[in-house]
Amino acid sequence: MNKSDDTFLTLSHVRKTFIGTCALADVNFSLRRGEIHGLVGENGSGKSTLVSIVAGILQMDEGCMTKNGEPYVPKSLIDANDNKVSIIVQEKGTIDELSVTANLFLGKESYFSKGPRIDHKRMQHEATKVLAAHGISNIDVTKKIKELSIEDQKLVELAKALYIEPDVLIVDETTTALSQNGRDLLFAELMQLKKKGSSIIFITHDLNEVFDYCDRITVMKDGLIVETVHTSDIDENLLKEKMVGREIHHGFYRKDKTMTFNNEVALKVHSVGYTSRLQNISFELHTGEILGIGGLTDCGMHELGKLLFKLEKPTRGEIEYPLAKRQVRNHRDAIHEKIGYLPKNRDQESIMLYSNVIDNICLPSLKMLEKYSFIFPKKEYAFATEGASRLKVKMSSVQQLCLNLSGGNKQKVAVVKWLMNRTRIFIMDCPTRGIDISVKAAIYALLEDLKKQGCAILIISEELQELIGMCDRLIIMKNGQIKTTLERNEDLSEEKIIHYMV
Amino acid sequence: MGNKKNVIPYIGLIVIVILFSALTRGRLLSVANLKLIFNQTIVLMIGCIGVTFIMTLGSLDLSQGSLMGFCAAVGATVAAYSPNATFFTVIIVGAAIGCIHGLLHGYLKIPSFILTLCSLFILRGFTVVITKSGSLPIPFSMYSYDSFSLKIVVLLIVFMVSVYLFNYTRFGKDLKAIGSGERAADYSGVPVKRMKMFAFIIAGLLCGVCSYLNVLRTGAADSKTGLLFEIDILTALVVGGLPLTGGAKSKLRCAIIGALVLTVLTNGMVLVGLKTELQQAVKGIIFLLSVYLSFEKDNVLYVK
Repeated sequence: MNKSDDTFLTLSHVRKTFIGTCALADVNFSLRRGEIHGLVGENGSGKSTLVSIVAGILQMDEGCMTKNGEPYVPKSLIDANDNKVSIIVQEKGTIDELSVTANLFLGKESYFSKGPRIDHKRMQHEATKVLAAHGISNIDVTKKIKELSIEDQKLVELAKALYIEPDVLIVDETTTALSQNGRDLLFAELMQLKKKGSSIIFITHDLNEVFDYCDRITVMKDGLIVETVHTSDIDENLLKEKMVGREIHHGFYRKDKTMTFNNEVALKVHSVGYTSRLQNISFELHTGEILGIGGLTDCGMHELGKLLFKLEKPTRGEIEYPLAKRQVRNHRDAIHEKIGYLPKNRDQESIMLYSNVIDNICLPSLKMLEKYSFIFPKKEYAFATEGASRLKVKMSSVQQLCLNLSGGNKQKVAVVKWLMNRTRIFIMDCPTRGIDISVKAAIYALLEDLKKQGCAILIISEELQELIGMCDRLIIMKNGQIKTTLERNEDLSEEKIIHYMV
Repeated sequence: MGNKKNVIPYIGLIVIVILFSALTRGRLLSVANLKLIFNQTIVLMIGCIGVTFIMTLGSLDLSQGSLMGFCAAVGATVAAYSPNATFFTVIIVGAAIGCIHGLLHGYLKIPSFILTLCSLFILRGFTVVITKSGSLPIPFSMYSYDSFSLKIVVLLIVFMVSVYLFNYTRFGKDLKAIGSGERAADYSGVPVKRMKMFAFIIAGLLCGVCSYLNVLRTGAADSKTGLLFEIDILTALVVGGLPLTGGAKSKLRCAIIGALVLTVLTNGMVLVGLKTELQQAVKGIIFLLSVYLSFEKDNVLYVK
C-alpha cells in the first residue's frame, strides 16, 4: 500500500441516476499525484459520467469528493476550472462559429479587458503564443473553429485545457480523433504535466495506449468499478476479461449456436456511401435472420441505420427492399411496407414524452384503426392495451404519460409501436441502450420470437456481448467501412472481435 | 396536478361573471347584454378554434387580425358586385393565405412566429390599399344575413366539424403528435409538412368566416378591421388553458372557454366604464398571468 498522502483526488460512494437509469452506483475512486490513470470499460459503463462529475459538468446525487484533502464539489465546468481541474471532452468541446482565440479564452476574456473593452489584439497574440508553446504552429488563431479539421479542433481544446495549468486533467476518448502526429503531441504534453506533479485521468478504447502510458488502470462496468490495478500487474488479455466481465450476462441470449436464416432477401444494400461518413457498404439481410452491426460509436453504423429507414438519402449506391410491393422512396413508404425503425435517441426520435401510451402506440397504425375516416377512442384504447400487454409494459394505465415511465418501459412502448403495426423488417439502433436487465431479457426473447415468425431483424449495437449472443451474422464496422463479417458459431468471443473495431 | 389546471379557466369565468354582475348590479346578465356578448364572442370563438389547430402543432399565428382585415376588404369589394359571392370569396381568400403560410412554414421551414409577424404587416398594408384608408360599405341587402339563427348555425357547424377533425381523425392525431414531439412523429410516419399546411389552411378558412360575420355586423370593411384580433385570440386561448407548446394536452374546449372569458371580461369592463386604454392593460396582465399559471416550468430548463 502506498502512503495516503499520495492520493490527490478521491471519490467515495458516488451515485448518479438519470431518469430511470443508474449511471453510477456507489463508485469509489482515487487519483494519485503525478500519475496517468487509465479508465477503461465498455460503452455505457459509466466512464464519461464519472469524469463529467469530476469536471463539474454533471452533479452527483450522493457521495463525496475531496481534492488535496479538502471537500471538492464543483458546481459547473467554470467552477472546476477555478479549482484547476480541466477536461477534454469526448464530444465536441468547442464552439463552431467562434474564432480559435475566442474559444481558447472562453470565459477568461476578463484577463484581456481594460474596463468594458476587450483587447482583441493582445488576446490573439497570446493565443498564438499559447499554441506555439504546445508545439502547435499550423493553426491560424483568427479562423473560425469550424474551418479547422477535427484534429486541429481537438488540439485547440487541448491547449485550452492546459492553459489553466491544471493539476487534474481529464482526457475523454480524444485520441480517436487524432492522427499519429496529434497523438504524439498529446502524449508529450501529458508526460510533461505528469512530471510537474499533475494527475491525469485518461479514457480510451485503445488498450495499447493504456499499457504504454498509464501508471494505474481502473476498469468500469455497468456503473461500477470492477477493479483498480497497477499497469505492471496485468496483461492485455486479463484486462479484456475484466472489461467484459464474462460471468455476468448469460442465460437470456439465444441458446442455439448455429447460423440460420431463409433464402429470401428482405433488404439489399449495394455499395452505399454517405458523404465522408460511410464508404462502400454492401450486405444483404434475409427473412428469419438477426443481423448485427457492431463498432465504436462513431464508426458510422448509426448513420447507416437512418439511411436504411430512408430518413436520409445515400450519396452513393442503393438500398433496396425486394419484398416491398411498391418502391420505398422515403420513410413513410417504408412504414407502409411494414419496415420499422427503432432510433438510438429514444426520448427525441422514438417516443413522444408528453403524450400517453395510447397515442404513442397507435401513431404508426392510425390508418389501420380508421373506419369511414373516423378513429374512435375506444378502438385506440383496446389497440394500445393489447399492445402494452404483449410486452407487459409496466404502467398505471395506458393513459399514463410516457414521460413518467422508466427507461425500459419507454423502450417497450417504442417496440410495441412497431409490433402492432405488424412490422416485418426491423431496424433497431441500440435496442437495449440504458435499460435494465429484465427489460433486456424481454426484448431478447421477443427478437427470438420474431426470428421464428420469419421477420428480418437488423440490430445496430455498441454492446458486443449482445451482438454475439443474438445475431446469426455480425458485421463489424470501422471508420465508415465494413471490416469483416462473422458467422454465428461456438467460439465467437469479444476478444476476437474487438481488434477489428479499434 | 393536471386536473387542477384544467379547472382554472372555468373558475376564472365564474369569478368574472360574479364580479361584473355585482359591479354592474346585474346588467351583465340582462338579455340585451347577453345577446351582445354572444355577438362579440362568436367571432372570437371561431378565430380561436382556427388557431387551436396551429397552436396544437406548437406553432403560432400572429397574422389573424390582418388576415381578417384583408378578407373583409376583399369581401366588401366583391359584395358591391355580387352579395351572394361574398361568403365564398372570403373563405377562399382566407384558406389561400393560410395555404401560403403553411407552405412557407412547413416546406421552407420559416419559424411560424416570424412568418406570421411579417404577414401581419404585409396583409395590413394590402388592406389599407384596398380600402384606400377609408371604409368599404356592403349593400343594404346583406344586412338581413346578420341574424342570430344564422350565426348559431355557423358556430355549430364550425364547432362540430372541428371536434370531428380534432378528436376523431388521423389529421387531428397527427397534429397533436407533431406538437408532442416533431421528430418522433416524423419517424413514426406522420407527414409533418403536409399536416402543418392543412392546419394553417383551416385557420385561414375560419378567419375568413370571422371576417364575413364581422363585416355583416359592422356593415363595412375598413383599414382597421380586425386590428389586434390576433392578440385577443392568443390571450383567449392561453386563458382557456391551451399550452403554448402544443401537443397532446391541446383541447378544443380551451378555445370555447377562453373566448367566453375574454368576451365577458371585455364586456364587463365596458359596462363598468373603464377607459379603453386601461382595458388593454388589464387584458395584457391577464395574458401574462395565464401564461405564468399554465406554463409547466418544471419541464423546461431554458426559456428563450
